[in-house]
Amino acid sequence: MSERKMVALKIEQSPCETCPANAQLAQMGLKIDNFDRVVALAGNPNTGKSTLFNALTGLKQHTGNWPGKTVTRAEGGYEFNHVRYKLVDLPGTYSLLSASQDEEVARNFILFGQPDCTVVVTDATALERNLNLVLQVMEITDKVVVAVNLMDEARRKGIEVDTRSLSRDLGVPAIPVTARSGEGLQTLLTTIDGVISGEILTQPRQVRGTAEFQRAVDELVPYIQQLAPSVPNPRWIAIRLLDGDARVQQALLSGELVELTSAQRRQDTRFSGKIALEGRQ
Amino acid sequence: MTLSNPTHPSQSQTESPLSPQDLLARVEALRPKLGDNFRDEIVKSLYAEAETIARRAVHAKGEARYDLDQRIDRLVTSPIFGLPIMLLMLAAVFWLTIVGANVPSKMLADALFWVEEQAAALFTTIGIPWWITGFLWHGVYRGLAWVVSVMLPPMAIFFPMFTILEDLGYLPRVAFNLDWLFKRAGAHGKQSLTMAMGFGCNAAGVIATRVIDSPRERLIAILTNNFVPCNGRFPTLIMLATVFVAAAFPPLFASLAAAGSVVLVVLIGVFFTLVVSWALSRTLLKGEASAFTLELPPYRVPNIGRILYTSLIDRTIFVLLRAMGTAAPAGAVIWVLGNINVAGVSLAQHIANFLNPLGGLIGLDGVILLAYIIAIPANEIVVPTMMMVYMGTGMMTDIPSLEGLRTLLVGSHGWSMLTAVNLMLFSLLHNPCATTILTIYKETNSRKWAAFGALMPLGLAFLVTFLTASAARLLGLAP
Amino acid sequence: MNFLPVIFWGLLLALLLAAVFHPQRGVLARWRMNSRSGQRELVEDALKYLLKQEQSGRHAAPEALAGAMHLSGSDVLRLITRMESQGLIISQDGGLHLTAEGERWAMHIVRAHRLWESYLATEARLPLNQVHREAERREHRLTAEQLNELEAALGYPRQDPHGDPIPGRDGQVAVAQGMPLTAWKGETPGRIIHLEDEPPLAYAQILAEGLRLGQVVRVLEASPQRIVLSDGENEFRLAPAVAANVFLEPIPDTQAAGNGSMPLSELPDDTVAEVVALDEACQGYTRRRLLDLGMTPGARLQPEMRNFFGDPRAYRVRGTLIALRKEQADQIWVRPLN
Repeated sequence: MSERKMVALKIEQSPCETCPANAQLAQMGLKIDNFDRVVALAGNPNTGKSTLFNALTGLKQHTGNWPGKTVTRAEGGYEFNHVRYKLVDLPGTYSLLSASQDEEVARNFILFGQPDCTVVVTDATALERNLNLVLQVMEITDKVVVAVNLMDEARRKGIEVDTRSLSRDLGVPAIPVTARSGEGLQTLLTTIDGVISGEILTQPRQVRGTAEFQRAVDELVPYIQQLAPSVPNPRWIAIRLLDGDARVQQALLSGELVELTSAQRRQDTRFSGKIALEGRQ
Repeated sequence: MTLSNPTHPSQSQTESPLSPQDLLARVEALRPKLGDNFRDEIVKSLYAEAETIARRAVHAKGEARYDLDQRIDRLVTSPIFGLPIMLLMLAAVFWLTIVGANVPSKMLADALFWVEEQAAALFTTIGIPWWITGFLWHGVYRGLAWVVSVMLPPMAIFFPMFTILEDLGYLPRVAFNLDWLFKRAGAHGKQSLTMAMGFGCNAAGVIATRVIDSPRERLIAILTNNFVPCNGRFPTLIMLATVFVAAAFPPLFASLAAAGSVVLVVLIGVFFTLVVSWALSRTLLKGEASAFTLELPPYRVPNIGRILYTSLIDRTIFVLLRAMGTAAPAGAVIWVLGNINVAGVSLAQHIANFLNPLGGLIGLDGVILLAYIIAIPANEIVVPTMMMVYMGTGMMTDIPSLEGLRTLLVGSHGWSMLTAVNLMLFSLLHNPCATTILTIYKETNSRKWAAFGALMPLGLAFLVTFLTASAARLLGLAP
Repeated sequence: MNFLPVIFWGLLLALLLAAVFHPQRGVLARWRMNSRSGQRELVEDALKYLLKQEQSGRHAAPEALAGAMHLSGSDVLRLITRMESQGLIISQDGGLHLTAEGERWAMHIVRAHRLWESYLATEARLPLNQVHREAERREHRLTAEQLNELEAALGYPRQDPHGDPIPGRDGQVAVAQGMPLTAWKGETPGRIIHLEDEPPLAYAQILAEGLRLGQVVRVLEASPQRIVLSDGENEFRLAPAVAANVFLEPIPDTQAAGNGSMPLSELPDDTVAEVVALDEACQGYTRRRLLDLGMTPGARLQPEMRNFFGDPRAYRVRGTLIALRKEQADQIWVRPLN
């Protein structure tokens, strides 16, 4: 796996679109009816999510520089290493807790849309603020890749980001990219592939709250595991229930949560079948 | 607080099947123990963790620098220069649009009308009946040619410039500069962002109101978006500014004066936005301004290639195609109305005559009102429709150039300065186009608000133009 | 012109209108009272009134109930009979007592009322002096389950916008603390934790003076004629009868004047400061939003620019420039750092 990463890192030096080294990526624009994997793009507003989305899909989604301009989610496709991906650009949010309209869209997609991987796009010049969202996404799913975007801007401002330390601390891969110039995209794609296929194991860091909070969560987790044995994130569900999240409560009562997990398992087998067919395992 | 049923699960109980309701009951029992500010604690520990991780991963050479951004920001939001800079930028955009569009507009018109002439001549030589030639070339084609030559050049200049401002990150600064006014009006500061979108297209502006979280303030933004002249209405405003305002100035300042008058119209639009927002938040949509937080993103160098693409393909061509799609049938309708004669007068003239008294009351005339009725699907075709009706009466066969236009309007149809001013006001305030009304309906999911969003501006347009017309007549400024 | 017919028709119209719209005896009022939902509303209003009386240690007589609800003697008797048959109240010693069931139902209405007030004030942003009236109308419309949803959507508020505690799902209500301003002793500053919203006239006066929940005030002068307060900047004058509707509590340490904290809006330009706390008066969506933007205790921020009007102001916090109106900045307590 580390070898694969090294190769990718070398490729990254030549970000031109027509070079043979780049031929693995094929932008598929709106052709997304027949895809193998779903990748969600989350992130704070103004972190260049839409730029990254356009760079990967070849679409020309409008990228204005004002908060909230992606008001609905956009979808596009790309093919990488002969696997077709559907990419979903979620509205930019600071958090997933406030339950404003855009946060609801983003949160519901990550939870109920069951993307195979969620890429959290962060701004290298304001990492602290952006990590707040990363930590929240990592509570929901462990298939997370952090794209540290705007590396060029950070360099200009004299900010250095040590992505290795970041990866280690977060427990998920953090990849430096500059979506505008295409720098780092190859590595990002290889990493997404690795996380989905399980070649890269992630161990998301979990935030510990006060002692009472921890006790309450610990008490609820066994119940949730008993109710929905294969739910991947009982801890997060416990937190949401304690916070009084109406949508999660409703999903619990309607049995949606239980079905969700079985759908996830079906998908897993489908993918491993596909991967086996392509001789990649 | 004590709890009535402290049923703590023992091992034996866990084996019995657990229902979701039991779990929720458990949650309810636990929640009060977590103290008052449970959510505060969650966010606090998230940020604390984020801080720790970021501190380890980020190394700033010295303090993080925002020098350039800061310097620009201090200038464009400065108490003294902020507002003037904003107005100057707006004026510059309009000036460049007017000046730059003049020549290509004329060239396009020349070429397109030459084609019409040749094609019509060709049709006549092969012996195709006159009414087919007339319908196709003088009706449908002429409508299209008008729309393309009047709209394409200004849009191709206006949209890229606007997109540059957008990509730079200037729009949030505008919202920042103007927020105080919106607060006074009981509205949300982000309303100015949605208004900026409205410059392109009011329907897009209505959709953009989703950035406003408070339903009340969002509804205000939706209902007042129409008071920003959209791209479909700019040609009307620019034409009037060029033909009437600019003509009153020496040639050197003509284009400046034209740009200035368009800025003035936009400011009047902003004024009405604020007044109507204020009135709404004191009557139908009562309430106080909600929490306002606005991120001012760092300035980014725009990507010129992308800007040209989005503004030319996504916006210009899109708007143009839409305009052409409605202009072609409208051209056909006009031609039919203009060529079917009842009692020796064309149908169009009949309708125009019927509307004349109402039009006269508000300083306009029947033809203009007819044009606005036909242009309900898309405002872009107001001017072409007017021209076609005026020309259909056989007064002018010349290719419409700006000078020719002036002669036609002032000389043959009795336009005065009042007509020009009131047409500008009417164009600014009247009901939104059908697409926008439909969008309002979709966004609010209410027929009531969609109807209100259409009728309130229309009523206001009639009221304001009636007042200006009456005032002008009382002062003896207009016949 | 002949005025007689005008006067005649005018009088007739006025009479007709009165017959229809008279608040107690009009056709509409009768119809409302006799309609099903109208009857329920009457019962619920009566329950609420009786609960309030019981909480202040009194047992209302039927006449008092009739007076409070603007009902005629026969109407109120019919109402009492109906409520007794439903097992909600029992008459004893000339007073009306709530049964356990009656009290449970009354609590539900109080809970509905206060949750609605929270919703109307924090989410719908209705002016504070209109919140009560609107909540009076809406409190009858929700089931217990819908109320729970509303409560969750509001983020489990503990108090309504006047500072009254909101009863929990189990009908438990935290005991209201605080001391009326008229009984507040001496110079020590206190924080306003409750503004009684009835009678509306007194409440309107309190609001008009500019007093609000969470404000820290000091009593400057207390005489039988008036009570003068100060929040360090403005002075407020209240009649004692009005002042009795303002309740104070001792201030928690974090916001005590001595520790040098101030509202963010008063922080001088270009001074770095640290967030101490969000004001208790800031609840609901606004609080969540401010927290999500990183305004958590300990976060550093610095005012960076003002616009032409001086409001809003933009602050750099956690690397991002964020503009806040004065109203929001008022609710963030900060301590300047040197």
